[in-house]
Amino acid sequence: MSSPDVPSGPPSGGHGPDDHGHGHHGSRFIAHHYDDAQHQFDSGKFGIWLFLAQEVLFFSALFVAYILYRHHHPEIYAYAHSYLDVKYGAINTGVLIFSSLTAAWAVRAAQLNQRKLLIGCLVATILCAFAFLGIKYIEYAHKVHEHILFGRYFDPCVSSGGRPLLTKNNNCSGHESTVVWDTTSARPTAGCFPDYAVDHDTRREGVQASCTVNEVTVKYVFSWVETEAGPETTSSPYGSLGACREAQQKKTDAFKADATKKRTVNPCVEQLSPPIRAITEQCPEWMPSSAGEPVKPKYPCWRPGFAPEVCRLGYSFTWMDGTTQRFGGPYPTEGDCKKDFKTKEGELKAAGGAPPAPCVRSHTVGVIVEYGDHEHRPSDLRITADCKGPPPPPPVEGDPLADTQQRAELGKAALSPYKRPTAHDAKEREAAGPPPEHTSMFFTIYFAMTGLHGIHVLFGIFVFIWLLVRAIKGHFTPDYFGPVDFAALYWHIVDLIWIFLFPLLYLIH
Amino acid sequence: MATDTTHHHDDHHGIAHTASIKVLIGTGSTLLLLTIVTVLATKIDLGPNMNLALAMFIAVIKATLVILFFMHLKYDKIFHTVVFMSAILAASLFVGFTLMDSGQYQEANIWDPNSPPRAPVGPRPIGG
Repeated sequence: MSSPDVPSGPPSGGHGPDDHGHGHHGSRFIAHHYDDAQHQFDSGKFGIWLFLAQEVLFFSALFVAYILYRHHHPEIYAYAHSYLDVKYGAINTGVLIFSSLTAAWAVRAAQLNQRKLLIGCLVATILCAFAFLGIKYIEYAHKVHEHILFGRYFDPCVSSGGRPLLTKNNNCSGHESTVVWDTTSARPTAGCFPDYAVDHDTRREGVQASCTVNEVTVKYVFSWVETEAGPETTSSPYGSLGACREAQQKKTDAFKADATKKRTVNPCVEQLSPPIRAITEQCPEWMPSSAGEPVKPKYPCWRPGFAPEVCRLGYSFTWMDGTTQRFGGPYPTEGDCKKDFKTKEGELKAAGGAPPAPCVRSHTVGVIVEYGDHEHRPSDLRITADCKGPPPPPPVEGDPLADTQQRAELGKAALSPYKRPTAHDAKEREAAGPPPEHTSMFFTIYFAMTGLHGIHVLFGIFVFIWLLVRAIKGHFTPDYFGPVDFAALYWHIVDLIWIFLFPLLYLIH
Repeated sequence: MATDTTHHHDDHHGIAHTASIKVLIGTGSTLLLLTIVTVLATKIDLGPNMNLALAMFIAVIKATLVILFFMHLKYDKIFHTVVFMSAILAASLFVGFTLMDSGQYQEANIWDPNSPPRAPVGPRPIGG
């Protein structure tokens, strides 16, 4: 690209043999294929501007991702930006602007042959770049620690950090409790409900309790007895029920082959580590009253759309033993339940009793824990919670909970058909609720944008260190300062992109 | 060495424009000031759209300052402005056309309050 107002050099084909061999005056860094310093500088400058134009297009792809996602999911941005600290973003903006100033000043110093000032400006720019990356490191480290990461690694509710939103106690604000609490007996009572049948108000009085969320790993073991009165041996734990069953079957077959002694192989059972009790305790509310009729639970439990496996569902059947209803199970699968059901049916028939009620899905006491985006929790993990309920209310005359009729009424209200949440409800939840679904997308975009920007800063550091070395060697002169100018231009575009990233990521209203 | 320039400017020195200290310090401090203004502006509630517009307006001013003075585009060849502005234009077209079209691919959420979608069959109480 030749500009008409640059008079130097022949108008065309200016590379005559005379021009070669460094006949130019000035810097020894003027390459011989250029007419003169001006020609070299202009060519370089044109090149760097083309590169900067490319950079704009390069980053625009990420800006499109940002804009599109924000356009469709403003609630995610409104929610997620609270995880970012404006303080760090603002400090980094200031640091980058200052480094832009020193970079621009470095160009001036090089142009005016002020070598010491040039070195000073380059050092200041490099230090600012390191400061920027240092602050970024603090931010990123915090996010890694808090599980505020991209994609499926966004999992703030189970993190162990200290921020109010993000504690292991499941204190995602507004969701301190997800357990149904029986205030009279001071213990959790709820089972699981289909989500169309529950009252979605988590802040309802009497339903709240303070829970600490735990995770337990689920393994499967089986045990066997070698001799009739021998000690019981337990197998090593298996990761899946299938693997356990396979091993159990093998053991059974091996014992069958050697029929000299009587041996028993017990079926596979779950082994929870650490062992927990609450989740396997049968929900008392589902047990029939003395009249033999099933009693509906008092309160529903909260079951968000993206709930992890928290309420363990199993299969069970019931039969009448005189006037008492007995209970078989829970079995992990319907097949297991039916097998035992058949045996029991035969027993009862032989005894002349009524046949048992068939297998249905049963409920165990479960604590419903609200997690963030949780579709990817490993299947061998189970979430439990230790809950402390509110103190039981002082007994009052005519306590509605003491009255069985009234109790049923309360339950009915709670189990009223699902109402579509109003806009106000949505606002309320936005203010105090768990992360909206797919909040991880914000952080995917956040890490892509700031990460790519950070890589540019890192690259800038290398370039400026190279410039510093050359400046110390005294390479730059008023007729040869192109590298300083071009690197500064690159540095300004890095600053420019951050000028947009800062309000877009940190300052969402 | 060039004897003439595109812009006859006092600060011109050698083969390219030299920014004066006044311009450098002035631009730098204005940028820092505008950063503080942006942060403070979020504290005022103008509605989410207006707040975004204000923040972007300030960001554009800051970007313009950086481009004009730190990057010398004000004193540089007009062709470099053309190159850079074409990139901005291409990026705007990219954003604009994508946004224009984006509504087409959202899942239609049809909700008839008189016949809401049937809920899946869930767990039932024992014996129920």
